Amino acid sequence: MRARATVVGAVGSAAILAIAWQVGSSIDASNGGPSGAGASATAKPAASAASSGSFTGASENTRYGSVQVKIVVAGGKITDVVPVHLTDRGGRSVQLSNRAAPILRAEVLKSQSAKVASVGGATYTTDAYLLSLQSALDQAGL
Amino acid sequence: MAIDSQRSSRLSTPGVDHPAHYRKRARVGDALGIALWLTSAFAVALFLFSGGTARFGSVADAVTSVGIATGLVGTNLVLAMLLLAARVPFIDHAIGHDRAIAVHRALGKPAFFLLLGHGVILLIGYGLSSGLDPIAEIGPMLAIPDMLLAILAIALLAVVIVSSAALVRRRYSYETWHLMHLLSYAAVLASVPHQLSIGSVLSPFSFERVYWLALYILAFGAILTHRLAEPLVSSLRHRLRVERMEPEAPGVVSIYLSGRRLRSLESVGGQFFVWRFWTAGTWWHSHPISLSSVATDTQLRITVRDLGGGSRSISSVPAGTRVWFEGPYGIFTDAGRTAPKLAIVVAGIGITPVRAMLEDSVLKPGEATILLRASTIDDTFLWGEIEELARQKGVAVTTMIGPRARTGPGWMTQADADRGLTLLGVFPDLLASDLYLCGPTSWLNVVEADARAAGIPDHQIHAERFDW
Repeated sequence: MRARATVVGAVGSAAILAIAWQVGSSIDASNGGPSGAGASATAKPAASAASSGSFTGASENTRYGSVQVKIVVAGGKITDVVPVHLTDRGGRSVQLSNRAAPILRAEVLKSQSAKVASVGGATYTTDAYLLSLQSALDQAGL
Repeated sequence: MAIDSQRSSRLSTPGVDHPAHYRKRARVGDALGIALWLTSAFAVALFLFSGGTARFGSVADAVTSVGIATGLVGTNLVLAMLLLAARVPFIDHAIGHDRAIAVHRALGKPAFFLLLGHGVILLIGYGLSSGLDPIAEIGPMLAIPDMLLAILAIALLAVVIVSSAALVRRRYSYETWHLMHLLSYAAVLASVPHQLSIGSVLSPFSFERVYWLALYILAFGAILTHRLAEPLVSSLRHRLRVERMEPEAPGVVSIYLSGRRLRSLESVGGQFFVWRFWTAGTWWHSHPISLSSVATDTQLRITVRDLGGGSRSISSVPAGTRVWFEGPYGIFTDAGRTAPKLAIVVAGIGITPVRAMLEDSVLKPGEATILLRASTIDDTFLWGEIEELARQKGVAVTTMIGPRARTGPGWMTQADADRGLTLLGVFPDLLASDLYLCGPTSWLNVVEADARAAGIPDHQIHAERFDW
């Protein structure tokens, strides 16, 4: 291969990477990245100021699949958080969400709110989990 | 008058414009090289499309992302290696079989280390995100579905790479080595499930997955077509059989093969085939051997040196033996020319492709010079045929018989070395010539080094090493 062709190959490769980086970043921003607001997070004002029962949150889409949680409320307290659906796009994603869910559940039960720290390595799952949780809390009027 | 003489001189020199033809081939070669770069970059782009900056948000994410990218590039290189080994006619015509295999070899280790690095880097990245050290992360990682297949794939690839290292390869016969090399197909296929199931880059029904699987189909399709189907169909169609043997010199025989519609193979003088002779002792062994004369529609001729392998030797198979073949391959032919002049140096059995190439070349008087080299008078087989062709085509022939010189240029005889002969002395136009070299490796290396020292550019050297 002649030197000129190597240069063309290298420069062309750099261009492809730069374009892909830009495209990827802008797609991610428009889809709502890990910290962006999920479009479907409809925070309806509390229809009923119920203090007991179970409430299913909105389904939040992420690159790794959708996340939806259900909360069980008794006497104005969150007594359980049950994942209805967790990120599942790829075996690694399943592994991460299965690891993050129990940690998030424990944190939520402790703090009784959606304001808990993100689980390292599972940012997408955490953010979607907490958004869905928040929509469930809104329905419960908590 | 002036116009007439111009016209007549143009008519009398219809020679091929070798430099222009070479530039065309070189452009295709360059395009193939650029394609390798761009597809590797595009493999990483597939990953970047899904996230870009967001994929590098934390150290753990960044390390994981690098791990994924190395896997994609490594796999792209492995698929390119399959394509280069597939003997695709388009690639063979552009860069030649030798060069394709040289690039295939050069890519082997980088591809392997990228794939090994892919595993190790991901182990570190996964570990960072779950707060485990890489060793402790091994357990959770193996728990992911399809990971065991991926481990098997890299282990098989390690066997293939180690068995192909020069030092190790020498210890095995070609057949044993080739069987081990076939494991690479298993390795490439075993690595597919984890690519599709573990990550999110190649998710179902995505463009990314379609593109990626298309690369596999291209690579394996090329292998199946050109290394399996096409040789099989060709072998059955042309019904090649051994017709007769003719001794050329002590231990050297010409094997005449008869078949049908052999012109449709479009073989060119100087090309080789990979032959398989169907007798009990020889069927498992394939032999890459050049034609020693241009094919007719019903007959091929190869000339071989018998190194005394007993019943395993193809020079003693009975007439009527069925012969299968792959080919024709190679650009040690007129089509491989790059320069206006032609210089040929051959020794021993290396004369065979040159004999056929000369027959098939369009040469202007004075364009070509041949140096025939032999250790003893027994090694001068086919010289008569070469001299006859040279006379017809206006090719200058120099002969040199005797053992190799101990002082001076080691490729010539002592007498020639002593009288101060040089390569440039034999070929005054060497730097404007294509140098075709064919003979035993150790001897050929000396000639080649001498030619390089004289300043001939790499692309003008065409070497075929004969070691049997």
